[in-house]
Amino acid sequence: MDIADPPPNKRARKSPNLEEDITGIRAILSDEFDEDIALIKAHSCQLETKQQLQAVIQELSQKLPHFQHLKRVHDRSVLICPSSEIGASLEQHLEQFAFSEHVLRALCQGVRVVEVPERMPRLRVQYEKTLKHWPCKFHPNHYSESLRNGSNFSSAQRIFHKRMAQLLVRLSRDVNANRPVGICVDPRQSNIVSIAGPGESPSPHEHCSMLLVDFVARSQEGGTTKAELPFTEDSKEVETTLRGIPKAYYDYLMNDEEYTDLTFGAERSRNCKEGNADQGADNLAKFGPYLCTGYDVYLLQEPCLMCSMALVHSRAKRVFFLRNSDNGALATRFQLHSVRELNHHYEVFQFTTKEDEELT
Amino acid sequence: MAAFMEEALVEARRARDAGEVPVGCVFVHGDKVVARGGNEVNIHRNATRHAEFICIDAILASCRERRLPARQLFSEITVVVTVEPCIMCSAALHTLGVKEIIYGCENDRFGGKTVVDVAAVVGQRIDITGGVRADEAMALLKEFYKGDNPAAPPQAKKKK
Repeated sequence: MDIADPPPNKRARKSPNLEEDITGIRAILSDEFDEDIALIKAHSCQLETKQQLQAVIQELSQKLPHFQHLKRVHDRSVLICPSSEIGASLEQHLEQFAFSEHVLRALCQGVRVVEVPERMPRLRVQYEKTLKHWPCKFHPNHYSESLRNGSNFSSAQRIFHKRMAQLLVRLSRDVNANRPVGICVDPRQSNIVSIAGPGESPSPHEHCSMLLVDFVARSQEGGTTKAELPFTEDSKEVETTLRGIPKAYYDYLMNDEEYTDLTFGAERSRNCKEGNADQGADNLAKFGPYLCTGYDVYLLQEPCLMCSMALVHSRAKRVFFLRNSDNGALATRFQLHSVRELNHHYEVFQFTTKEDEELT
Repeated sequence: MAAFMEEALVEARRARDAGEVPVGCVFVHGDKVVARGGNEVNIHRNATRHAEFICIDAILASCRERRLPARQLFSEITVVVTVEPCIMCSAALHTLGVKEIIYGCENDRFGGKTVVDVAAVVGQRIDITGGVRADEAMALLKEFYKGDNPAAPPQAKKKK
């Protein structure tokens, strides 16, 4: 890199003591996990006797099949329908549904408007808040809870992820003139598949994620990057390929004693597309490399919308990033991974630093 | 401008014949096509090689060669593409600040207008017109997805 070294004090401010700087990892959950459940108004009635219950519930569930996520009965109150569906009066509204006479009478007794949760909670903390309003159904999900409280990673995994974050800081500073950098890892053996910084040319869209997915493609005998950038050669003995790693990064890591235990290389594309692995194995184990399927991506900077979507198209498994970007699309300006319509969703994690903790 | 959709459809058919998802694109400057391309995802094993990116890269390469400022040129370019640009392409086109986008059929799975309001996220609005010869663009896609994508793993195929 021909960019002059920054003055030492500036460098020191950017990454003081790497080992201490990065303190943890937190999942960036989509809003449906993170936000309180919104409340909607609903009409309810008060039954006089418990004997009425069966008939009322039976007809309601057929004729007004609302509130699948709620318990329909609370004490002797029964949910009829969302208030927003009722026009002039409840009686008029119910007339359309041909209820039997005794049920209709029961539905018009002790009518109140109550507030109920709009949807089913995803996490226990949300569930507990909804209980104040109306009992709702809840299927606790151990994995989601662990993402929330950070117990999803073992301590060995946590150490590896943090190490990758430290590596990003080091590579950016020492090899990449303080520009962004990304690392793609096959988590099965923790092998580094690819490393990329942004393009050299003033191309406004050659961000490091875009190059990273192209270098992963190189490891699968694809890729479009021109030959000017020297890549690592494969040695004949090993089964994995180093083609996705530019030589500058590889040489830097090979010459650093701190990183002698890192492992490199991607599984080569399999010619045979027949899945033969155990049931329950993921697609990477079954079919071999395809785009970034099953791979983890570590980024120094939160990716922009273009890059975030490129990683969706590439079917990355998890995206870890260290620093927020002004145009970031996973936390700062948007949460692309929360968009349900997309045909692939990765998990998103951000490294926490001492600085964050001092701020809060 | 919409007359250039025929050129984009030519590129989409070319992509289809090469075993790629049939989406084609041309970049128009004045009354001339200055870049053209179809999807090149499968051949490069890179899911970001969409038709729009083929065109963007062609423009950037030619600007470099002729030492012209790319930003100025992009601001005068109309993008004509057979399918609504995806979130990634739309974000790139908004960031580059092209003059306008004209597309054929909608992309309800990851369209940069239908699924996500890219302009709001990027903070830049450009003129977008959809629905130009949409039926023809859609027919190409339907024909393609009846068959199998040769690059996708078998399990993904079964799901369809």
